Amino acid sequence: MKTLIIIREQDYEWLHHFFPDIHPLLVPICNKPFAEFLIDFSILAGSEALRFVMDGPLSDVERYCDNGNRWGIPVSYASIQSTDDLQTVIEKNQRFCSAERVLIINGFIFIHYDKQHNYKTLLASLPDGEILSCDSGSLSLRGSRSETQKVLENIPLSLIRLDVIDVYYRLCMEILNAASSPYVLPGYSNEAYCHIGRNVVISKRAEIRKPVIIGNNVQILADSIIGPNAVIDSNVIIDRESAVIDSIVLANTYIGEHLEVQNKIASGNILIEPESGISIAMDDPHLLTGINTSGSSKSLFQSIVHGLAALLLILLQLIPFLILWPILTLQGKWKKSTNSYYTAVSEKYLILTTTAIERTGPLSTLAAALSLDRFTLLFRVLIGQLAIIGSWPHVVTPSKITEHSSTESCCRAAVFSYAETEEWPVNIGDTAIVERYYAAHGNPMKDIALTLKALFNRIHETNTHP
Amino acid sequence: MIISENTFNNITVIALQGTLDARNAPQLKQFNSAGAAANSIVINLSEVDFLDSSGLGAIVSITRLKRSQGGDVILACMNDKVRNVFEITHVYKLFDIYDDVEAATLNAEKKQTSL
Repeated sequence: MKTLIIIREQDYEWLHHFFPDIHPLLVPICNKPFAEFLIDFSILAGSEALRFVMDGPLSDVERYCDNGNRWGIPVSYASIQSTDDLQTVIEKNQRFCSAERVLIINGFIFIHYDKQHNYKTLLASLPDGEILSCDSGSLSLRGSRSETQKVLENIPLSLIRLDVIDVYYRLCMEILNAASSPYVLPGYSNEAYCHIGRNVVISKRAEIRKPVIIGNNVQILADSIIGPNAVIDSNVIIDRESAVIDSIVLANTYIGEHLEVQNKIASGNILIEPESGISIAMDDPHLLTGINTSGSSKSLFQSIVHGLAALLLILLQLIPFLILWPILTLQGKWKKSTNSYYTAVSEKYLILTTTAIERTGPLSTLAAALSLDRFTLLFRVLIGQLAIIGSWPHVVTPSKITEHSSTESCCRAAVFSYAETEEWPVNIGDTAIVERYYAAHGNPMKDIALTLKALFNRIHETNTHP
Repeated sequence: MIISENTFNNITVIALQGTLDARNAPQLKQFNSAGAAANSIVINLSEVDFLDSSGLGAIVSITRLKRSQGGDVILACMNDKVRNVFEITHVYKLFDIYDDVEAATLNAEKKQTSL
């Protein structure tokens, strides 16, 4: 048997609001990514291969699950369109689905199973068609029928629709409170209601009240109280005299001194009340904040290389700029506009003045060909606000600020766009494709070569704005 | 890059083999399919061992042209390297992607007859 897991963006969109940096399939449920529960169930069901099918991005899931070696089951990935119905999805995965029985998990649903049950024999004896369904998903079988067929009754499975944060919270608490967990949970567990990961430092003066589950690399400092009903993920610091009760603390979170977290979900600097779904971003890093785990040496090297390239360009463009800028300004061909932009380089919103040069004469054509319209932006590279090459900064309006910080975080606002190195982009969509490609495949030295290419391409450009 | 052409279920299947980059992208863009311009085509990507943004540009340009003529481009049998590029750039949202050439041609034929 094989397992096809179909998940659509519209079903998990709500989760992005609470955990913008975590792929919905990797959202931890009692410190175990959601995808792992699905993989575990597939293995229990006797699957020999598994495929994640989504209409949204899969790269984070692929990075985590890779080819499935960790679980001993081949894991593959496929993309679909958001409008594809189940039949089309099966057709698109014809080779995967052919010749064998396929278990289809359709929807953003949690499957309540018990690791003690023999699902392999049970599912093999079930007829084709839907086994279980809920509001937004189903579990079904498709393919060659077995000879002996059971009737669909008393199947030790149930589905939960993951559609609001409260359901997620209650699910975590339910799993945590099971004396003998029906799931395999991460960490060591010598006693019931307690799972503890690797490299956990608990102060002698800290109090642990079961049930609790604690991830890897966690520090719990003196006089803090953990539990009952506390889920602490990996890379978490609970500072002195703090309390985490009936709460979930997601990975890379710092809980400051004297802070009591009760009936909440803490993720980075965000505190969520599950029942109401209200989330608050804390500004005080001494209270609640995210722990930055990304390496900064690469970005430092990148900043230095980009800074040097910007400096060189400033020196080359200085004299032409000083000559042409006053003339074109007087002629009214040097048009400035000021807007607010988001940049992931400094993770800030910037007020930038951009220039458009009207190419209607020899001097303005020369100025545009020399990319003098970008001259003033080069100084922003020197102070680390922009990159020399990346994405053309996105204009943001106050209403779009929150949205931008999450969706455009991959974009490194820059003086030149990667799209300017290619000739084929004809619209914003094409530009985004090229920018994403080089954002993933670029390196500082390659950036210099691409900047030169962009400068060269701009000589022949007909307008001065990408 | 080697480009070969076949017909399955009355649909032209273009199989690409090798590297699809800035050097080879014009070759694909200029490739004249034997099928009618308005007909849909299937591009088999199983043997593509490298794809860059220019290669993507070639596929996107052909698709844009086909769609403007009333046809479509359907992609089939992406290997992991190609799928990774589609994933990073979010280009997967623009295409119907099949894991089997025959299923892709059947769908293309179905689409064509429905027009």
